[in-house]
Amino acid sequence: MNCVELKQSLAEVEDLSGAEQRAHLKACPACSALVQELNQIVAAASELRAADEPSPRVWNSIEIALRREGLIRPQTAQRVPVASFSARWGRARWLVPAAAMLLLVVGVYQRQESSSTRSSQPTAVVAPVVNPSGLNDEDFIQEVAENTPALRIQYEENLRRVNDSIRDAQSALDESPNDEDARRSLMDAYQQKSMLFQMAMDRSLE
Amino acid sequence: MVSKEAAKLVAVSVMLACTVVAQSKKEYRFAVGPRAGVSVMNPYGSISVKPSPNNTVIVDAVLHSDKVEVDNNQNGNRVDIQSHLLSGADPESGRVDYEILVPADASVTLHSSIGSMRAEKLHGDVNLEGPGSEVSLRDISDAHVHVKTMNGTVTLYNVQNGHVEVDSLSGEVTLKSVNGSLVQVVSTSGKINYIGDFGNSGEYRLTSHSGDIEATIPEWTSADVSARSVRGEVHDDIPLQPKTHTSFPLDKGRAFAGTVGRVAVSSTVVLRTFSGKIHLRKRSDKQ
Repeated sequence: MNCVELKQSLAEVEDLSGAEQRAHLKACPACSALVQELNQIVAAASELRAADEPSPRVWNSIEIALRREGLIRPQTAQRVPVASFSARWGRARWLVPAAAMLLLVVGVYQRQESSSTRSSQPTAVVAPVVNPSGLNDEDFIQEVAENTPALRIQYEENLRRVNDSIRDAQSALDESPNDEDARRSLMDAYQQKSMLFQMAMDRSLE
Repeated sequence: MVSKEAAKLVAVSVMLACTVVAQSKKEYRFAVGPRAGVSVMNPYGSISVKPSPNNTVIVDAVLHSDKVEVDNNQNGNRVDIQSHLLSGADPESGRVDYEILVPADASVTLHSSIGSMRAEKLHGDVNLEGPGSEVSLRDISDAHVHVKTMNGTVTLYNVQNGHVEVDSLSGEVTLKSVNGSLVQVVSTSGKINYIGDFGNSGEYRLTSHSGDIEATIPEWTSADVSARSVRGEVHDDIPLQPKTHTSFPLDKGRAFAGTVGRVAVSSTVVLRTFSGKIHLRKRSDKQ
């Protein structure tokens, strides 16, 4: 099993029980580090169950851990036309915003669940703590421009649309905090943005 | 004058010859067992998948230049094909067009950034992802069908007994004669068209943010339908037996909920948009 196959197998055998997976992870520090970070993200997600809102420490700890492991790297001035293997894994830094949005969706869902069990209390307004503009949209577009320049305009246009949809849904929810459809629209909008980042990340890892 | 025309002809012939020389065709064959897995990753170019008459995967690849290679690998019952871009490859020179035959029960995963992806007459799971790809699936049965696109159009025709999930940001999604236990489409701004009878007992969820949703159903449809546009409009051409209890306000022009046909065998249909229009209409004989 090589690194690409391991990445693909993660979706199928999540608990890493496969013999080939284990053998590859023993031999490959880069994949081992990636799996470790994914486990940390899963662990961070479980913390959300106990809290109404994710702590900023969750985001910070994810980012710090990814930087420590070298999965997030400073932008280099020069880039080779075709990325080297290590640079490809470096682009896994797109896991940060993608994971952040997935965690956000989990957080919104958990709040929805908890608010529905407290019917006697006024329903809280779901206010995502992450500003869409704080998810490094510009870096995202820059990365897309370098990896898939032919799709840059489409990515920009779709990022704008999905950010608009987040703002629309948030505005509606602010006006009508008990509106379940507005709440679902907000969740859907974040999931769509997460999908956009995910697609760009998949492409950069090819 | 004649010599000028002749020179032009020669120049065109040379250019055509160069193009033909630059292109190359390759064929790969793999013997596989039942329920094989076939994965194709192709950044630039089209992928077409059809059923093969036996347990063989046949890959025909047309490479548009020497700046791209085809990596192929078989691991047991799994076949992986990947277009490997070399230095300096761009969407034109890195293009590879694939025509692939797989056993009809194979599970197929296709990735392409730019280029159409088509699959037909299969009954294994189908997973397609492509930011700018046009996706077309037809005559698929008893399968999980997952499609993710950014702005490519998605057309599903005659998907029977499926578990269908389509995610699209701005591409138009059309489902015609698609049914199964779950049929779900989520879109940001693309239009969603559903033409069919919503099956017998499935769950159908069509959701958009600003894209319109249009469902065209025949007279014999049995479905429990609810529709709401938070900021847009809803239109209903079909008489529904109204529901007495809903989880959302039935504001006139913004929402409706009710049952059409026989309740006992009905599917659950949820049409939801934030600012788009929803239109539930009766299918005419011509459709």
